[in-house]
Amino acid sequence: MSVERPIAIADGDAIDPGWEAFPVTLERRPRLLGRRAVDEDADLVVRAQAGEREAFEELVRRHAEHLYAVVVRLVADRHDAEEITQEAFIRAWRGIARFKGDARFFTWLYRIGINEARRRTARRPLGAVASLEDESVDPPDLRPAPDREAEHSDLRSALERAVRALDPDYRAPLILRDVEGLSTTEAAAIMGLREAAFKSRLHRARLAVRNAVEDYLDEDERA
Amino acid sequence: MMGPLRMIGFYRDHRWTRRHLSDYVDGELGPRGRARVEHHVHLCPDCWRLLATLKRTLAGLMGLRDEVPGDDIADSVIARLRAESET
Repeated sequence: MSVERPIAIADGDAIDPGWEAFPVTLERRPRLLGRRAVDEDADLVVRAQAGEREAFEELVRRHAEHLYAVVVRLVADRHDAEEITQEAFIRAWRGIARFKGDARFFTWLYRIGINEARRRTARRPLGAVASLEDESVDPPDLRPAPDREAEHSDLRSALERAVRALDPDYRAPLILRDVEGLSTTEAAAIMGLREAAFKSRLHRARLAVRNAVEDYLDEDERA
Repeated sequence: MMGPLRMIGFYRDHRWTRRHLSDYVDGELGPRGRARVEHHVHLCPDCWRLLATLKRTLAGLMGLRDEVPGDDIADSVIARLRAESET
């Protein structure tokens, strides 16, 4: 969204030779991940609710890549992630008339996507899943078996594997908050959790991942 | 060597710090909480190390953000939306 503002020059201020005062067009910088301010999504949502598919397609262009980036870390493969992302938008389009606007559009959309990913994962689990429900024990050791350590030669690969090894209910908070950079408030709203419950899951997920990749971290690096 | 009262205080701070480290790195503790964590990690090598490695882990996780190409996903979603509209 563009806003035109004059340079703040008081009457009588001298202007250096070769300079002139003129209106400056300021671009409102998008927030993290390219999501626009809520007022711009709201306008498209209203038009989509009136049946304007082109408005909804603009919402797709704005949010599809980021929703896909979240979903692909929750499911078994990219094909599933693509299907789930498509399905999330289809559901959102079909249900757009019922969207009340009491949450931001992307919050509602991401919740649809994550719920769909959960359904798929429940039918077809990823594999080894760490349960973090028992708070009386330390986070599980997710490190690979010694004979596979050669396959996990760097921190990035180790992180990817550690994230995938998390229980989905703990993986989603970590992905939303720490990979995608959403705020605690935004991420908790997407998960449908109170912030305290969200932060508890997030903390345990972080410790589990940290334990899994500890050998790859530079222990000499100061905090 | 710590006296018993100091030791009790140390372990209370130890447990509290470990529960609230995420809040600390997220900047979601108030001034007293921050001071409590910072005081304790200077005394506790385990918590100092946990904090350092947790920060490194979070930095690594943030770096995963750019690893997921999905350039064509919007096009595939729009294509499916249009196909559904035509059926």
